[in-house]
Parts: sequence; structure tokens; C-alpha cells
Amino acid sequence: MKNLKKSFIAILLLFWCGVAIYGWHLTREDAGSSSLKNVVLGYQAGDEFYISKIRGQFVKKMKAKGYNVKFKEFQNGAAMLQALASGNVDYARVGDTPPVSALAAGTKLTYVAAGGTKAKGSGILIRKNSSIKTLADLKGKKVAYTKGTSSQYMLLRALKVAGLSNDDITWVNLDSDAASVAYSKGKVDAWANWDPSVAQVEITENSKLLVDGTTTKALNRSFIVSPTTYASKNKTLSKLIIKYTEQDMKWANKNHSKLIKKMSADLKLSKKVVRRSVIRRTFSMHAMSKSVVKEEQEIANVFYDNNILTKKIDVSKHVQYLK
Amino acid sequence: MPQKLLEINKVGKSYGKSVILSDANLVINEGEFIALVGMSGGGKSTLLRMLAGLEETSAGSIIQDGNKIQGLNKEARVMFQEDRLLPWMNVMDNVLLDKRGKQSVSEATELLTQVGLGQYVEQLPSQLSGGQRQRVALARALMSHPRLLLLDEPLGALDALTRTKMQDLIRKVCQDKAITTFLVTHDINEAVRMADRIAVIKNGTIWRIVENPYRGKESLGDKEKEVEISEEILAEILD
Amino acid sequence: MENIETNEKYHFSFKFKNSLPWLIPVFLIVFWQVACNLSWVNETLLPSPIDVVTNGIKLFKNGELQENMSISLYRATAGLLIGGGLGFVLGFINGVSRKARLLFDSTIQMLRNIPHLALIPLIILWLGIGESAKISLVALGCLFPMYINTYHGITSVDPKLIEMGKSYELSKKDLFIKVIFPGALPTILMGVRYALGVMWTTLIVAETISASSGIGYMSTNAEQFMDMKTIVLCILIYALLGKLSDFIAKNLEDIFLEWRAVERRNTDASETSRNK
Repeated sequence: MKNLKKSFIAILLLFWCGVAIYGWHLTREDAGSSSLKNVVLGYQAGDEFYISKIRGQFVKKMKAKGYNVKFKEFQNGAAMLQALASGNVDYARVGDTPPVSALAAGTKLTYVAAGGTKAKGSGILIRKNSSIKTLADLKGKKVAYTKGTSSQYMLLRALKVAGLSNDDITWVNLDSDAASVAYSKGKVDAWANWDPSVAQVEITENSKLLVDGTTTKALNRSFIVSPTTYASKNKTLSKLIIKYTEQDMKWANKNHSKLIKKMSADLKLSKKVVRRSVIRRTFSMHAMSKSVVKEEQEIANVFYDNNILTKKIDVSKHVQYLK
Repeated sequence: MPQKLLEINKVGKSYGKSVILSDANLVINEGEFIALVGMSGGGKSTLLRMLAGLEETSAGSIIQDGNKIQGLNKEARVMFQEDRLLPWMNVMDNVLLDKRGKQSVSEATELLTQVGLGQYVEQLPSQLSGGQRQRVALARALMSHPRLLLLDEPLGALDALTRTKMQDLIRKVCQDKAITTFLVTHDINEAVRMADRIAVIKNGTIWRIVENPYRGKESLGDKEKEVEISEEILAEILD
Repeated sequence: MENIETNEKYHFSFKFKNSLPWLIPVFLIVFWQVACNLSWVNETLLPSPIDVVTNGIKLFKNGELQENMSISLYRATAGLLIGGGLGFVLGFINGVSRKARLLFDSTIQMLRNIPHLALIPLIILWLGIGESAKISLVALGCLFPMYINTYHGITSVDPKLIEMGKSYELSKKDLFIKVIFPGALPTILMGVRYALGVMWTTLIVAETISASSGIGYMSTNAEQFMDMKTIVLCILIYALLGKLSDFIAKNLEDIFLEWRAVERRNTDASETSRNK
């Protein structure tokens, strides 16, 4: 009996070690090869870099040019920019508000490229049977948003378009999980949010967008940013990344069904939800242009005017126009 | 003429201001069984610990074979008040301690048989009675072939019957092996029962030494005479 | 006759006692399933146990579950070995040497009071976001319980036994192997048990720092998209892994500290016989 127990525990421990060693092996596999220059790209599931990753061509093309690309997934833009600031990520794919906040916090980053927008999938969610019919009806209502993210900007823009003042609604600051619960329980009347979460809520909660980014001009554009010193030293690399990502974006626009299948598995969302969010956006990636800088400057100004940022930012000083 | 093993020379011990021993003198002869009796707190155990080298003298010296004892006394082994067996080792391993090899094992087996624990080698200390545990401790002390065995009231916690048996056992083993034995006890009857000479400690010094001619004989001697000596010693202590 | 009957009764109560700890978990799961079936709860907020299990099977079939679990296990084990080992060595040195104690102990006590999760930003800046950062965080969490228990275990070994060892001329090595270490072992193993607990809680947090693998990642990833089935699955996996490591720790205690069980049985026996 005693010996039985001893051997049982010994086997259990051996099994434990075996599994742990297997796990170690798995982590080694992504370590990559040696002679190539390592480039670390930060992404979030479902974004442009994610598409490049799942298509697989990007890594091969970069390898042919002498770069060993590693993709690192992040759960939110703030964490990614923290990693960027500490030099652990060379290029980060972010939304339009995190870089503005990071610049205000003193992070030395440079805008390298601009992607497409999620204008049609970003806006203010309401239930289809809601008493809110127009933007003006938001007056006196409770609206969920997440401080410092695109949703705050959307809401500020929406109020401006509606001609309401900021005090006309009740601002309910919740992170996305809490907001989701609050919305489904009817604790808030509306929710400023973006895809694919919007698509999911539209389907599961019988909701629609009261207003989207095409009206509010809160476009929710994608950007690629890089640490300033890194960007100034690696212009050729940046150009390659833009070029190859753009090729992947063209592929994505043509191969919706493949993309939707893979995305729905990785994001653990139903295909219906993913399809809705994919078909209403156009994927692209280009070098920076004056017009997108203007968009970013507008965000910085609005955030500064509303005391969200304590510093005035001149976005144009942090941009690289690569041609 | 008996051979002198150890000489306690004007030994004093004090902790800060409290003086435990002031001027203790005693000669211990090779092969004898000597008991030290006295009131508790009278410095009996302190003197024993100094003989073992577990404590330093504050004054005077202890000479063994012409050398002053400094640090641990390697010729001596102590049987403590508590058995101090290692609870995680079985009886055999407790007796062996750091000794290895077939010869040591057979020696330990022999010693354990001698103290009547031949069948208990595999047991853990907690499975034994208090008396059995002290017998293991005795075997452990004898394992290192000490020239001097120091007994620090080892039987104090045992019941009367076990105690008498243990007294005879220890006495017999020490006599058979001709080990010089120094017993500290507060029980005068025990001293009379076991020792050849009984030293009385009082006022921080060795007050008197009583010869005990009734000990060591095959017959347990004359009960009346035993009682007489006990009373004599008691009177000395209480005087 | 009478004897047999009491024996049987004892046997029955023994079996009942064995199943007692499982009573509440089993009841909760059954209740949970029933509540889901009768739509007492919203399934998008709390999926039923069967849904969770089928989701687990699905993730197992496509290999995701095993991969993430083995990676988590690797990080946890590496962190435990590094942190626990370091804690043991420090605890040992400080337990044995007074000088080392004076030099290190107050610093360690000071650091111990910092919640180790508060160090995440520093660890990201120093070590980045790779495996080393996650493993260091787990190691940091495991270090202190091991340190404190080793230190405490060694300093609280019965000084009388140590004196015995010294007076019986044990070498320093033997004194440690035969007296100090076995005497400290019960407390040290308690430290191992604590460290195992801290290991899992720290790992969950560590894996939310830009991981692309591991159970913690699976859970935060699912959280982003309100995939409740996977979230609940991850919670259950943590519970099971926690229970498994506790089970191993407890059995290690039983194996290495058999003498204590014997001791307890004997004191119990002598007490009941005295009471009779």
C-alpha cells in the first residue's frame, strides 16, 4: 500500500516533468533562427499584422530579405505600447487613440504607417427596440465607454455632431467586459464600442449602431508605430513591412471566406459575427499621409480640450513619411 | 591504587552575578561509578555539562589524563535527561548515528540485544515506551566506546518500577564494560543503589564524599545499611 | 459477533468519510447544470457544465488545450524550481549563519512585503515580455514562502537535538543531513505547499502580460470576446491543477514525514487507552 502510493506519486511527478519539458520545447519553437536580424511585431487578434501572420507569406518574404520576424500577441494597445517603450516590440499595430496617449505620457514613438478604418463598425450601440431614435435622444441617457480608448473619442464626437454638451449624458466608464455585462443587463442605455465586439452585440443582443464612424468622423483607423530611434535607423525595413503588409491586405480583401474561417476559430467568435465585421471594412496599409495626420491631430486636440490629456501634442512631429 | 582519570580542580561557574559553583574539587578514578547528589539548582547538571565540554568553567580547571578539557570532551558521552532520540530515524539508525559499515551494524545489534531491544531495531522512537527509549539512548552512548559515561538524571521521568530495572541494567552494563560513570541525580536512593562513591554537592562545592561499600556486590546488600547511608547523605544535604 | 459488527460499522463510516470532501463540489455542479437546463441563469453569462466540457473536448481535439497546458506547466515548474530553490538556499544560509541573517534577513523581509504583482511593470522593462519575464514573476512569488518556511524550519529545530548531535561528534555535514534538515522538513514541505499555491495564482497574472500561449492567455483571450465557455473551462483547469499540486504536496508530506504519522497514531492510541 505504502509502496503503491510512492510509485503513484513518482509516476505523477515524472508525468508532470515530461509535460513541462514538452511545454518548454513548444516555447523554444518560436525562438527562431540565428543569423537573421530579429524583428518583433506586436499585434492584437484580428488586426492587420494578425492577417499577415495567418497568411504566412509575410514571414517567408521577410526571411528572404534577411529578417526573422516574430509576432507577439497583446491583449490591449496600452500593454503593447508599454512593451514598445521598453524596446521589446519593434513595430506595433495599434488603434488611433493609444499612440496619442502614449505620446502625451512621453513615449518616444513614431507613426510609420496608416491602415484602413473601422468606421462602419465603430459607433454607439443601442437596442433595436430602444427609445433612442436619434443622436439627440441620448440626452439624459447612460452611455458606457472605456476611458482613454477610441470609444471615448467616438462619444465625444457623437455629442458634438448632435450638438449636445458633455454634461447632457451620464458617462459610465467601464472596461469592455464590464460594459458588456452592464449592456446586456440593461444597466446602460447605449455603449460606445467597435468591431468585432459591435458585430457580436448586434447579433446576440438584437442591437444596432445608432451612429457609426462615417458620421462622427471618429474613424478608428489602424496605425503602425515604432520607437523613434528604431524607426529612424530602419527606414528600409519599415518600407518592406508596409509593402508586404499591403500585399497581405489585398489578399484579405479578396479572400474573405478563408479569413473569416480562420478568424472565427482564433477569436472564438461565430462566423456570422466575424463575417459582419469583415465585410464592412477594407483592409489596407500605406505610408503616412497628411490627411491621416490631421485625423490624429484632431483626436489629440479633442482629448486635450476635455482634460483627458494634460499635454498638447503636435502629431506631425512624430511622423515619418516613407515614400 | 586506583588510576586517576579526571580531576576537578577548584572549578567555579557563574552566570553574570549568580554563582552556581564556587570551589568544587573532585577526583574521578578509572572504572568507578560515582554519583553526584544535591538539591535541584545546586549545580549538579552544570558540573556534568562542564565535564562533557558543553559548557566552559568560569574558574579553575578540569584535567583529564593530564590535559585540561577545552571544548568538547571527546572521551565522554552524555545520556541526557530526555532521551534526545531523533524521531525520524528508527532505533538502529539512532544508535548508529554517523557510523557506517557492517561491523558497526553488528555492534549496534549486539548492544541493542544487551539492553533488551533486539526485536525493536526497525521501530521508531515514538513506538517505544519511555524506558525503552532511554535504553536506546544508552546503547547510542555506548556505541562510541566512551571512557567516561555522563548520566544527567536520565531516569528522572520514568515510573518507579521501570526505574529500578534501568538502574540495574545501567549499573551492570557499565561494570561489564568497565566504563567510568558519572551519575547526576536528585534521588539519593538511586545513588546508593548504583554508585561506588557518592559525592554530595552543596553551597556550590563538593561538600562530602561517601564511600558506598554495599554497592557492586552480587546480592543487593543489606537493606538496612542502604537506608542508613541514604539517611546519612540526606542529613548532610539538609544540614 | 459484536466485534465484527463494530468493525463493519467502522468500515462504512470510513468510506463515507472518504466521499465527504466531494459532496459539495458534486452538488454544486449538478445544481449548476440543472439551473442552466431550467434557464434560471443566462447561458451567455454562465454556460452549463456540459457546454464547458464539450468546449474542452473541442479544444483538446485541435491540440490547443494540451499545448497551452503544457506551456503553462513549464512556466510554473521552472518558476517554482528557480524561486523555490533560491528561497531554500537563502533560508538555509540565514537559518544556519547568524552573520548572514543579520546581513540579509531585514532586506528580504522588506522586499517580501511588496506585493510581487506590483513588480510587473519593472519586470517588463527589465526582462521584456518573453518567457524569462513570466518565469521570473512566478519565481519571485515562490521565493518568499520557501524562504520563510526554510528559515523558520531550520531555526526552530529542537536545540537539544542539535546539542546531542554536536556532543556525539557529528560532522557538520552529518549534523545537517541527520538532524537539522529532517527536523526542518515538516516546515519546509509546508513552504512547498504554499509556494505551489502562489505559483498558480502568479502564473495566471504572468500569462496576461503579452502571452501568446498558456492557460492564462486562453482565458484573457476568451475574456475579450466574452467566450464564457472557455473562461469557465480555464477556471476549472486552474482549480484542477491547483488541487493536483496540492495532492502531490500532501502525498510528499505523507511519504517523507511518515514518522510523524506514526507518532500521531501512537499518541492518539495512548490517549484513548488512557481515557478508557
